[in-house]
Amino acid sequence: MNYEIVCGIETHVELATKTKIFCGCTTEFGGEPNTHCCPVCTGQPGSLPILNQKVVEYAIKAGLALNCKINTKSHMDRKNYVYPDLPKAYQISQYDEPLCENGYIELDSGKRIGITRIHIEEDAGKLIHEKGYTYIDYNRSGVPLIEIVSEPDISSAEEAREYAEKLQLIMRYIGVSDCKMQEGSMRCDVNLSLRKPGDPNFGVRTETKNINSLSFIQKAVMAEAERQADILDAGGTIVQQTMRYDEKTDSVTPMRDKENSDDYRYFPDPDILGFCIDEEKVEEIRASLPELPFDKFKRYINVLGLSEATAKQLIKYKKVAEFFEGAIAEGASVKNAANLIVGTIFSNMDTEEEKELFAIRISAAQFAALVKLADEKKINIGVAQSTLQKMLESGKPVEEFIKPEDLVGISDEELESLCKEAIDANQKVVADIRNGKDKAINMLFGYVMKKTGGKADIRKVEAMLRKFIGQ
Amino acid sequence: MAVSKTEIEKLAKLAKLSFSDEELERFTAEFDAIIAFADTINQSIEGGTEQIRSIGARMVPFETLRPDEVVPSLPSDKILSNVEGYNGFFGLERSKK
Amino acid sequence: MRTGISELASKLRKREISAVELTKTYIDAIEKLNPTLNAYVHLTFDTALKAAEKADQMLKEGDAPLLCGIPMALKDNICTDGLLTTCCSKILEGFKPYYDATVWEKLKAQGAVLMGKTNMDEFAMGSTSETSCYGAPLNPINTAYVTGGSSGGSAAVVCADLAVYSLGSDTGGSIRQPASFCGVIGLKPTYGAVSRYGLIAYGSSLDQIGPVTSSVKDAAIVFDAIKGGDKRDQTSVDYDYGDSLAERLDRDIKGMRIGVAEEFFDGINPEIKYKIMEAIALFEKNGAIIENIRLPALKIALPVYYIIACAEASSNLGRYDGIRYGYRASSYTSIEDMIVKTRSEGFGDEVKRRIMLGTYVLSSGYYDAYYKKACLIREEINREFDAVFEKCDALIAPTAPNTAFPLNHKVTSPVEIYLSDICTVPVNIAGIPAISIPCGKDSKGLPIGMQIIGKKFDEATVLQMAYFYEQNSGIDVGVYEGGARA
Ligand SMILES: [Zn+2]
Repeated sequence: MNYEIVCGIETHVELATKTKIFCGCTTEFGGEPNTHCCPVCTGQPGSLPILNQKVVEYAIKAGLALNCKINTKSHMDRKNYVYPDLPKAYQISQYDEPLCENGYIELDSGKRIGITRIHIEEDAGKLIHEKGYTYIDYNRSGVPLIEIVSEPDISSAEEAREYAEKLQLIMRYIGVSDCKMQEGSMRCDVNLSLRKPGDPNFGVRTETKNINSLSFIQKAVMAEAERQADILDAGGTIVQQTMRYDEKTDSVTPMRDKENSDDYRYFPDPDILGFCIDEEKVEEIRASLPELPFDKFKRYINVLGLSEATAKQLIKYKKVAEFFEGAIAEGASVKNAANLIVGTIFSNMDTEEEKELFAIRISAAQFAALVKLADEKKINIGVAQSTLQKMLESGKPVEEFIKPEDLVGISDEELESLCKEAIDANQKVVADIRNGKDKAINMLFGYVMKKTGGKADIRKVEAMLRKFIGQ
Repeated sequence: MAVSKTEIEKLAKLAKLSFSDEELERFTAEFDAIIAFADTINQSIEGGTEQIRSIGARMVPFETLRPDEVVPSLPSDKILSNVEGYNGFFGLERSKK
Repeated sequence: MRTGISELASKLRKREISAVELTKTYIDAIEKLNPTLNAYVHLTFDTALKAAEKADQMLKEGDAPLLCGIPMALKDNICTDGLLTTCCSKILEGFKPYYDATVWEKLKAQGAVLMGKTNMDEFAMGSTSETSCYGAPLNPINTAYVTGGSSGGSAAVVCADLAVYSLGSDTGGSIRQPASFCGVIGLKPTYGAVSRYGLIAYGSSLDQIGPVTSSVKDAAIVFDAIKGGDKRDQTSVDYDYGDSLAERLDRDIKGMRIGVAEEFFDGINPEIKYKIMEAIALFEKNGAIIENIRLPALKIALPVYYIIACAEASSNLGRYDGIRYGYRASSYTSIEDMIVKTRSEGFGDEVKRRIMLGTYVLSSGYYDAYYKKACLIREEINREFDAVFEKCDALIAPTAPNTAFPLNHKVTSPVEIYLSDICTVPVNIAGIPAISIPCGKDSKGLPIGMQIIGKKFDEATVLQMAYFYEQNSGIDVGVYEGGARA
């Protein structure tokens, strides 16, 4: 039986503010347990929350980057549930007046995945279960989050992955979060149901919680869709429940319910006043947004003339795009800069994380200095590549590897006489070429390159040789 | 609106409270009276559809919210001063006789 | 009349008495009377004596604030760094906060001498202080009667002169009603006038800290000292009250418009009604204009209050789970079981009832009919008060429909007790200021309280009217036999 996947994703993104959402404690990752804490973020009796302005600003930024409408009036609600990692027994969140609503993310196919809402809330602490004991660290308690809820517009595992990937990239571009899934600063919950094609009704859905990598999102959607299809094919019914994706077995299994109830008894938090943001402020934040990845992608193709494939690789990592644009600004040519990044620099980086981090030992200006030598044909591409490699390994500038005498280059007259010399010295080879053994021309290249120490432009050499041979 | 014993049990579960059978009987009876009392609000004044916010209509502009400036946290021995700590962690045995 | 704060302050400045001596007088009185009255639940004599020494130092250096060296008390729900703060609940057994409530920080800086923490209804939930896990405080006027509540201990220590003044908290009348029962003065300030930081929450949108004193002037002095915006409490307001209110109490009441709403007198004990009418007549005789006004929404203010307060309480009290502070059940099978046992063993019946009611009115399917409806009616009540204050400068009403209940007064339903809050809760719902001052006694010799209610942030008018009444009625708190100033 064929089914259609109906999938929506809820994404929690940790905001990169300096302080927690309701107190002045640092949000810095790590630290000794319970050292980034105060009465407010450990829920001491009598303490009161004070909302961090930056959290609101970042959430609005995220909303604008995701094409949302910003609610200029908003307030905080309490979501009540008891769990040891939640020190107040309620999470301060937003229920019926989220900051942002009605946005979308456009996939490469042009399909738009709707964003229902974005709201701000606080993170919980961390539990560690060990040998009959449970330990609690509240350092993460009160770290600001935004929850981005998509419409159930996603209809394949690939779309799910692409949605999350695009979301991650946009958040990184606008600088509101580092979105490190392995560290938990971006986590996804996947809601999924199946239905027969053309059926207007939704099936019963499950929620697979806390997925912490992009590829797991894709795999989890696939695994859960298969699981549900098997049940439906066997005539069974889907139970609405919370699931967990297990990467080791690549399967989705029901999670032991941490709360038997989902009656969260939301109500407006009486400790925090409603807040309003005027339109001008929203516009000011909009104006502060950087060029977003999709716009950059289009510009790289339409204005810079890059191929889709190259443009895609360059925009995929914020720091790479910045490095690339930095080199261009220093006068490097688009084509050589792009090719050297994608070819040489990326070949030194095995993982996505390394590319994201883009921790290289040379500056964009130093890179541009090298690219310009290639641009001006003072060195050929091969030399540029090997020199770049040496620069990356040592962190030293181009002057360390290419001596001024190397740069003098070979004048056209010199090259012409060398080509003639090559022809004169290899009459037999020339005859072979004339008789159709075209590959024999390599012999002549070898001769010229050897004489020039590899510095000659190979295409120019070929053109001259063919001219003199008369081909 | 009378409240059934099952409903009281459901509420108790949400509130993380437990009652003995005898307490439950008494509580259910008392609760009926309390709900009847709370119900009197439904005898008058039509409810509106306005947005409910805390402290009524008092709202503050974005500009007055707390600036994002770090304030030193407290040492963990303070944070843990009202409980037995475990190397800086809060903690407890998962079961105890 | 008792020596007030300003006279004590001047004696301290003239070195007629030292702060340490004054403190010792209070320690003696407390040791003598407290075992019977049970007004204090935690005594802090050691820190009091140290504070008194420091106060003497400040006084010697000159330029000490008015409250420097004055013995006082705090309700047991106001956080004090390193000192027990238990809300008179088993669940906060042994709890010592490591931070000060803003009000205490302010008073401490002025050299206040804290004698101890006062008895109260558990988590401020009650009208008699009998739900305290330490047993009820007794009314110093007649120990067969309750002090009222929830700030019963704060009223009793002032009544029996075991502190010059105290702070209480008022969510639905918890300062004014015990002040009325004990025959002292209790001021509930405008919501937001005093920081709630460090006040252990009951109903966050209603809670407000205020002074209990033996004179109107003292109430003004203490209010002057504790008021003001606080960056740690967003609901607080940095209202500009101008000069000290204590210096501006004398005001001609001629032409002042005083509203009297019949809804406040529904079902009031006739003896009380008579005394209040007498008081109103005194104002009228002195040139005030009495306006008969209507506040129809008051009829349902009581259930509105209980729904909102309990909804907030059910959420505020979720944090008492035995993990970070306070009581923890001794045996359990899982963490969940530990939490349920801790709460079931740690909370008293009244707290459980209110948590259950709050859980109910917020639960899915009931939210709109109860919580949301109550919030909308709250807005309506606010609008009615706004309209009334267009025509009136202040309102006069009884503080409570009855005088103090006998101890262990049996009720058929908890609702019966809730009904006694009828005159005080509308003030909390509207977030406006009100004072309770004694206006005579009933036939049993129990004090009767009169309430003067003002506009938001118009504590000045409330205090001025109370001061006028105090100066002209011939009724004052007087000296307490066995108390420190006897
Ligand atoms: Zn904190």
